[in-house]
Amino acid sequence: MFVKPSRRRRVAAAAALGLLLAGCAKNAPQDTFDPAGSNARSIDDLQRPVFYVAGVVGIIVFAVVGYAIWKFKDRGQDIPEQSHGNPKLEIALTILPAIILAAICVPTVSQVFSLDKKDNNCVINVTGQQWWWEYDYAKGSECGGVVIPESIVTSAELVIPANTDVLLRITSRDVIHSFWIPRLNGKRDAVPGRLHTLRLQADQPGLYTGQCTEFCGLSHARMRQAAIALNTADFQTWVTNQTEAYTAPEAGTAAAVGQSTFIAQCSRCHQVNGLQDGDGKPVLAEPDLYVLSGAAPNLTNLLTRTAFAGWTFDLLTDECRDTLWNAPPDEFGALYLKGVTAECFNEANLREWIRNAPAMKPMYTDPKNLGSTGGKTRGMPALGLTEAQIDEIIAYLLERK
Amino acid sequence: MFTTGSKLFLGASALSLVSALLYAGTTDGALSMPGVLGLLTATIVFGFLGGINWYTRDGNVSGAQEGVERTSSAAQPAGSNSMWPLVAAVGVGGLVIGAVSRPVVFKVAVVVVLAAAVEWMVLGWSERASGDSDYNSGVRRRILFPLEFPILAAVGLGVIVYSFSRVMLRLDKDSGKAAFGAIAAMVLFAGFVFASKRNVAKRTVTGVCTIAAVALFGVGVASAVQGQRTIEAHPTTASEAAVCLEAGTAGEIDDNASQSVSAKSSVIANVYLQSNNVVVAYVNGVPGTAFSSIDVPRSAWVRVLFHNDADQSHRLTARLGTFGANAEVIQCTTAVHTGHEAFLDFKVAKTNLASSTPIVLMVPGLDGQEIQINVP
Repeated sequence: MFVKPSRRRRVAAAAALGLLLAGCAKNAPQDTFDPAGSNARSIDDLQRPVFYVAGVVGIIVFAVVGYAIWKFKDRGQDIPEQSHGNPKLEIALTILPAIILAAICVPTVSQVFSLDKKDNNCVINVTGQQWWWEYDYAKGSECGGVVIPESIVTSAELVIPANTDVLLRITSRDVIHSFWIPRLNGKRDAVPGRLHTLRLQADQPGLYTGQCTEFCGLSHARMRQAAIALNTADFQTWVTNQTEAYTAPEAGTAAAVGQSTFIAQCSRCHQVNGLQDGDGKPVLAEPDLYVLSGAAPNLTNLLTRTAFAGWTFDLLTDECRDTLWNAPPDEFGALYLKGVTAECFNEANLREWIRNAPAMKPMYTDPKNLGSTGGKTRGMPALGLTEAQIDEIIAYLLERK
Repeated sequence: MFTTGSKLFLGASALSLVSALLYAGTTDGALSMPGVLGLLTATIVFGFLGGINWYTRDGNVSGAQEGVERTSSAAQPAGSNSMWPLVAAVGVGGLVIGAVSRPVVFKVAVVVVLAAAVEWMVLGWSERASGDSDYNSGVRRRILFPLEFPILAAVGLGVIVYSFSRVMLRLDKDSGKAAFGAIAAMVLFAGFVFASKRNVAKRTVTGVCTIAAVALFGVGVASAVQGQRTIEAHPTTASEAAVCLEAGTAGEIDDNASQSVSAKSSVIANVYLQSNNVVVAYVNGVPGTAFSSIDVPRSAWVRVLFHNDADQSHRLTARLGTFGANAEVIQCTTAVHTGHEAFLDFKVAKTNLASSTPIVLMVPGLDGQEIQINVP
């Protein structure tokens, strides 16, 4: 006869089923059990046997507890004779876990020291702030045989040479964040005033996503990141592109008008390297005067990236993004280096962001609530631009690649 | 129909109601509200108490009940002597003293008076709760123990922690280490003895713990009265140009400043003044390569560690740029003795291009020995 399960049992069964099905996801780009580099693989090689050992121990413990519950269930029988102390059993139950922990400890400590090695020539400063990451490549650094001729400052996407160990020097400008690209290595906290190092290495060209893993305020969930691995030739191309001299828009074009609008509206926070005003003086951003963290993304080559605002909003259309994400390693670099082309440009996202950024991503930008920060915002405020000004700025930014 | 007690309370309730109506009618609207509310509250409270007295017949025992002269709670002998009146008196005295001396005395006295009032009330009620004295003491325990135990435990723990902290703050640093070790060893030893000798008398354990707690409290009070030791501050950095651009040690910031740095200081670069008076930088992450420039992110605090291997004392100075009409920003270490080290924290908010003067690390007195700071 079928007995209808209780409500509590149905909920428990549904939760268990949900957990089980969650493990079946095919599209899981942030899967720690799918390492794509030597550092992540060495962690995986350690955590799998530990997981198996812990799993066996867990099953044994649950089985024994379950047996005890079933066997000695209160059926109205007398309380059995009580005993105190069993030295042999106590010693065994102390020594056995100690042996297991010692066996786990040796490779773990060895791995920790191995991952902490700092003998790299490719050094990238990674600086977190609410709610995006900045990457600056030290001048003279050598990455996979490519020398960085000038400092490169970028954001959203950390571009690295494939098959090369790079050293990240991670810090923060405001609150504690945590940098994590699960398929390439473990997490590392970004702490203001401290410098933490983390090595990354990707076996093949491709895109590896991540997420800030330390709650850092209102838009923590929208502080994403990606590592882009390119083969050496493609990385050289990317470096060359990033360090090219500034090219001003052609006079009389919408982009040229946009340059003036950008200088008037955007350049007080956003740097575009090489940008000059009408008098030929360099236009230098001063985000330290307007933003609490003292920094805003460098937009010199914005359209070489595939997303913006903490790698939250796509600059590519869905179709182009999916094509890039699913590209085989040998085609990935060429596709990525195309940047955002006219046919792949997701204009709606960028337009809406320029129109009213806080509406897309919650940030502390309301002028009425900036007393505690001395009038500085924690993100991009709504600038109240006209549609014509937005058109001009977009036309200008489209050439930033 | 109405008992004597209920008549009293119901009369008071009626009087309060009449007073509320009169008050509301004879004073202006907004002003009358608090008074009217107070009188109406009194009306309700007196009415409630009158109702209880009426329902319980003033708590009088029915004379018709057999043996009531022996079994009623009123027939029981008075309870044992209580300390709570004395505690309440001390509390009230404390209130008076606190009112004219220190606020903390007044606050403590308020707590004492409240505690005495609660304890006294519950004790007085429980002693007449029934004719069974065992039941009476049990009901008192059931009500007060859940309050007394956590509060007394917290107070006891607080006294021990506070006393111990006073002792540690009074002792100098070396004696503090010895005292900490000795007390920890004594606690460990006592714990070991009590654990290994299971037949030790409970009174012995209680006595030892009490003596130790009282001794700690006494020493804590004595230490608090004497005050804490002088804790000197020794700055290791300065930001005055007169000091930071001065060669040698004439402008020493503090001769007692620390000249050794923790290995976990999280530096972006180690700057060495070599024995040949040449300055080089070794960048964190690139071992073995001497750099003449370092890259630092803008608007982020970074730290460099300065090692002086020259044969004279020198300081490291960071010239952090001149922006607009503001004065040049300068930071420096204290004069570091030969073979010693010091760290220097700094933050540059703008790029090199925005500064009218170079952004560099330099050693005053050694011309040309500079490390460029690139702020992209």
